[in-house]
Amino acid sequence: MIAALASWYFTTHGRSPIGDHITVYYTKVDGTTEVPWTVSMRPQLSGESVAEHLRNTVLYAATQAVAGPPGGVSAIRFPQGTHLLSAGVNDSTATVDLSQEVKNQSSGVLGESGAFKSLVWTLTALPGITQVAVRVQGQTLDTLPGGHLELDEPLRRSDW
Amino acid sequence: MSRCAVRIGSIALVLLALIAVVQSPARADDRLVLRLDGNPIVLTHVRTQGSARAVAADDPGVQALLDRIGATLTWQPGQRYVLFTTAEPVVVSFSIGDARYDVGPVSEAAPFAPFLWDGHPYVPLDEFIHALDFAVKPDGSQLVLQPQLASLDVQASGEGAKLVAHAGMPIDARIVSQSPTKLVVAFDDVGSMLPPSRAVAGGPVQRIDVHTTGTVTHPQTQVTLFLVPGTTHSAPGTDDQRDFTLGFNGVSGTQTVAQSAPEPVESATPAPPDQPVMPASSPSALVQVTDVQTQPQNGSVLVRVSVNGDATYDWHRLRPPDNRWWLDVHNARLAIPPQDEPGADPVTAVRVHQVNPDTVRIALSLSDFDSVDVVPNATGLTITVNSTIADETSVPHSGSGTVGSAAVAQTSGVPENWKFAPRPAITQYVAPNPRLIVIDPGHGGSDPGSEHGGIVEKVVALQISKRLHDILVARGWQVMMTRTDDRDVYQPNDSAHDELQTRDDIANSSGARLFVSVHLNAFINAGPNGATVYYYKPGDLALAAAVDKRIASEVNVKNDGLVKEKLYVIHHANMPATLIEAAYDSNPDDRALLQDPQWQEQMAKAIADGIEDYAGTAPPASVGTGQ
Repeated sequence: MIAALASWYFTTHGRSPIGDHITVYYTKVDGTTEVPWTVSMRPQLSGESVAEHLRNTVLYAATQAVAGPPGGVSAIRFPQGTHLLSAGVNDSTATVDLSQEVKNQSSGVLGESGAFKSLVWTLTALPGITQVAVRVQGQTLDTLPGGHLELDEPLRRSDW
Repeated sequence: MSRCAVRIGSIALVLLALIAVVQSPARADDRLVLRLDGNPIVLTHVRTQGSARAVAADDPGVQALLDRIGATLTWQPGQRYVLFTTAEPVVVSFSIGDARYDVGPVSEAAPFAPFLWDGHPYVPLDEFIHALDFAVKPDGSQLVLQPQLASLDVQASGEGAKLVAHAGMPIDARIVSQSPTKLVVAFDDVGSMLPPSRAVAGGPVQRIDVHTTGTVTHPQTQVTLFLVPGTTHSAPGTDDQRDFTLGFNGVSGTQTVAQSAPEPVESATPAPPDQPVMPASSPSALVQVTDVQTQPQNGSVLVRVSVNGDATYDWHRLRPPDNRWWLDVHNARLAIPPQDEPGADPVTAVRVHQVNPDTVRIALSLSDFDSVDVVPNATGLTITVNSTIADETSVPHSGSGTVGSAAVAQTSGVPENWKFAPRPAITQYVAPNPRLIVIDPGHGGSDPGSEHGGIVEKVVALQISKRLHDILVARGWQVMMTRTDDRDVYQPNDSAHDELQTRDDIANSSGARLFVSVHLNAFINAGPNGATVYYYKPGDLALAAAVDKRIASEVNVKNDGLVKEKLYVIHHANMPATLIEAAYDSNPDDRALLQDPQWQEQMAKAIADGIEDYAGTAPPASVGTGQ
């Protein structure tokens, strides 16, 4: 009983380690350099568990990473129109479901890889997240159509 | 019950149902019609909230509006955030239960907090429309959705400058009058949310006045630019088919003006580690520690240290009750800000700093005499702290090793970063046919690869591959090509997976010594150029490095160096493999090289030389299996 109450109290009153800002990365056009910038983060709501706050933060961070920095900044970007459909967290894996526009890759390895690299670096900067599983319209793909980068397993920073 | 009573009851039920059908939409929501370019945008989920209106973010009318302007919605039931990404791109974020909303880096306050009603997320309508750089304007009995000129940025560039005008929709403009000190630009069918006048400090543009005339449905916004005498300007243009651009004093309207990365919102935010994360090109130069990540995992704590080249390290620990442990990476600079952070049990603190000019120290404070493992790999090392208490009498108190390419040769166990991959036994790979090399010309058949300026990737990749084939055969190697003409290797219009796996299957079943895939790189603009050599598996690195070194010294092309990428075709080849992006077909200078037969020969010879630097000369014919 006490353990159940303690568990309930922690999940609803526990403090998330996520602060009031998060770091989002973009990949420079050299294809390798990750540049961080910060976006403000809303505080954990009362009644929002640590896990819910992390899941919401993953969604927010991934949306920012997929959008990329403001238009004037020279960066490798996802294809126009690519956006996040949903996000989830399972243990240390963040799962992101991207819209089908991500398949409209018109660039080579440089653009394809640089876009995913920024997404992986952004999400693995969050506490407890070590890897990112990618879905497209809910489906796991081995690679993008005509693509090169392998997407069938969660991506980690060490993949680059 | 009589038949008459049943009939009356049925009629009553039908009437009740009809009343419910007629009344329920009125009870549930209002309907609002906005006109955009003369076409209706029908919002069916609008609710009054005090004196303001709220609209459901997932309303079909909202989706139609987003589609029209190239914006997107991210929201799922049960999710706190309601996020819109504009085409610019700017993320507009609303949060259920929170009146604050953000438009890019700017926080605003709405008159009410977004809320859930009947499963739909309602956001403040006027704020939502404004965030998309539109305004709702009454026109008689109609409401018009009017795109607004939302920003006029003057970006300085040396003596020149570039004006970028942005509105809620792609805009075009024309110069209506000009004099030595004044330029008037007219934007048709666009209103303005900008102040009527503002001064601009420095540069060729001194002041900008904005004035809107016309009707609600056909507004015209005139922008008057007051210029320093003698200022010249370019033709009007656009960078991205959306914004209007105009250059001054030699700056092109479509020229990219160097802009800094977004400024950190928080002054305490560390400066960006703006260095390439790739292996150091010179062994004598200091390598960089590019990342240190501390993460708890199943009761242990992993500290992953990323190093971008070859380096030695040593580690030490003190004796209980002093439970400090540290590791020094030698010949290294710290490329990220120093860290001094609390850890997770059993690590009480993690400190990362430059202990002297060429040594980076990772120091851990442990809660007890916990066991610690250090596993080096090609890109750094992983320190694993387990909460099991080590036996002080039997465990070593110091150790050493190397990271980078040397670590690959020395590490006989499983490299940690292969935990989640179907891992070919690279370090143990012994080629059944050590004379055989597989060359894989990228793409082919129904998959042309990239196409720019008359160059088709599949064609040039095959041309270079054939030259490489001939050179290697002349030097005594057996060579197998995954394709020798313009065709799909698996079947036409197959998936990328099937195509790539078939190429790997050819190589794997042949027992070849190594695998070389030849491609061309491309980008969405003409900027990037050069040759890049990719590797992924630890066993690929030495081959890729040898090929890259020869390309750098023998081929007339910019060398973009060695890059690690999880590319399917090299990952799933059992043998050492590399993928060469010979040059960019999206870059005009590189295109000229790619079309030059002598350059193709140069590239093929450099790859062959790199292969032999790695593998030695071809073994005698008796060694081969007669492929």
